[in-house]
Amino acid sequence: MGEIRRVAVLGCGVMGAGIAQVAAQAGFQVDAWDITQQALDRGRGEIGAFLEKAIAKGKLTAGRRDAILEAITWSTALDCVARADLVIEVVVENLQVKKDLFSRLDGLAPGHAILASNTSVLPITELAAVTKRPDRVLGMHFFNPPPLMKLLEIVVGQLTSAATLAAVKGFGQAIGKTTVTAKDAPGFIVNYLFIPYLNAALDLYDRGLTSREDLDRAVEAGLGHPMGPLRLADLVGLDTHLFASEAIHRELGDARFVPPTILRRMVRAGLLGRKTGRGFYEYEATGGAGP
Amino acid sequence: MSVRGAQVAIFGGGAKGRGIAVLALRAGYATAIIDPDPSQVVEVTARIRLALDERVSSGALAASEADAALARLRVTSDPAECREAEFVIEAIGEELEAKRALLARLAGTCRPDAVFVSSTSCLSITAIAAGTGRPERTVGMHFCDPAPLTRLVEVTRGLQASEDAFLLARALAEKLGCVTVVTQDTPGLIRDFLLVALANDSIRAYEAGRASLEDIDAAVKLGLGHAMGPFELVDAIGLDTHLAVSTALYEELKDARFSSPPLVRRLVAAGRLGRSSGRGFYTYDADGKIRRG
Repeated sequence: MGEIRRVAVLGCGVMGAGIAQVAAQAGFQVDAWDITQQALDRGRGEIGAFLEKAIAKGKLTAGRRDAILEAITWSTALDCVARADLVIEVVVENLQVKKDLFSRLDGLAPGHAILASNTSVLPITELAAVTKRPDRVLGMHFFNPPPLMKLLEIVVGQLTSAATLAAVKGFGQAIGKTTVTAKDAPGFIVNYLFIPYLNAALDLYDRGLTSREDLDRAVEAGLGHPMGPLRLADLVGLDTHLFASEAIHRELGDARFVPPTILRRMVRAGLLGRKTGRGFYEYEATGGAGP
Repeated sequence: MSVRGAQVAIFGGGAKGRGIAVLALRAGYATAIIDPDPSQVVEVTARIRLALDERVSSGALAASEADAALARLRVTSDPAECREAEFVIEAIGEELEAKRALLARLAGTCRPDAVFVSSTSCLSITAIAAGTGRPERTVGMHFCDPAPLTRLVEVTRGLQASEDAFLLARALAEKLGCVTVVTQDTPGLIRDFLLVALANDSIRAYEAGRASLEDIDAAVKLGLGHAMGPFELVDAIGLDTHLAVSTALYEELKDARFSSPPLVRRLVAAGRLGRSSGRGFYTYDADGKIRRG
């Protein structure tokens, strides 16, 4: 397996832009792709704003910022993957969309290239199966926001080779992440543990056991979590949590992943958390929340 | 208020009772630890002194404060020591009948307005209170372990406790410098209900070969920001304690998440109880650090 020098990141939302930034910061050449120029501009804006803040805090020089931005080539043409050693797919969490993209990628990327998906809930092995290189397909699950979160879950599909895993572990270290390796089983490690936990906490709250503040405080003080479950659900987005919980439940049929009724009620009511100004708590409109 | 005897009387000189005593002593309460075994008096006193000394060496407590705190301590095997206490706290083993019998016996000795506190973590406070003869004065205070900086106390009133007794208990927890939350009397309250299920899920994920111990702990710490990974945490709590709490919750709830994973039973049977025994999920050096590699 050759060395990874050039990385293509497909999808320039918050996660994709963050991953492109992390790779560029570590000295990799990056091709960032999305369907529309508007999406690329938004991604570039995300990175620019992040680096600007780092400069304001005195953590980054303007020269370094320019070098990072210059390391990223922005493109709406998918054939930019033709020069990639590693392709990281970060598009919408829709299995059919991802399968179509992997199938196209397989024809465009060089034979030696590794194809990775940032999916948090979909089966890696199913994406690998639409390519002619299932040994060189795996999951690279980054956490939001990628420049700040140290964890990288590497997901090993049924046919992923040891050489592919080793190369991606090396890449993970090179971009400053702590890597953990998980089987391709729904939820991998973090979501497999997090989603039932959150469901149980929402259920406790729905049963009127205690107040929202006391529930959050009990978890923060008693378990050492940085944020109680209700505040965290509001931050993640109740619709996002519902989607992930349902996706894993479809695969496993495990009752722990059945979305609690309060979650469905709140999503139906449009109470999605911070992004709508109201979830379990109420939030002031900040004005500066970005596009 | 004239104080001759102890204001806070704690039954049970084990780790839990001593931990509560240290909090009460530091908060300025005349405190008695009452342990039925007279041979324990010297040992318990020495351990309290050690706990206070550790806080002095870490700079959290002045030496003069530690001395003053020790002067407020009585360790005895005489239950009559609780006769003037405002708070009678049981911190004995997690057996319903033993807790009921103890508190029922004390009902004749204690002040009529004393608040009876059970520190149970997994028994129903309503069930304990029902056997004390003073259900309206009986409140649950679950002092959560391990307590890193600030200790969490889950205050539970059960179905019979009076508002007055409940408010006094909550005020006590606050005076002890604890974070308090109020919860209804349900199995596991808040903390253990969430903790035990998460720990069992983690253990089952490991049993199923989803990932390694180290990787699951790293994923939970770095991906979710938890202070400890689930295996580090269960090793710190003790696998035997985890098994007991998990089994108690399963008995009450019949929810599969609380049925103990077979691996826990095997480890407990093998005497691998966690950090305290040198080996649990991880192996520990003499200084309590995980041995890697």
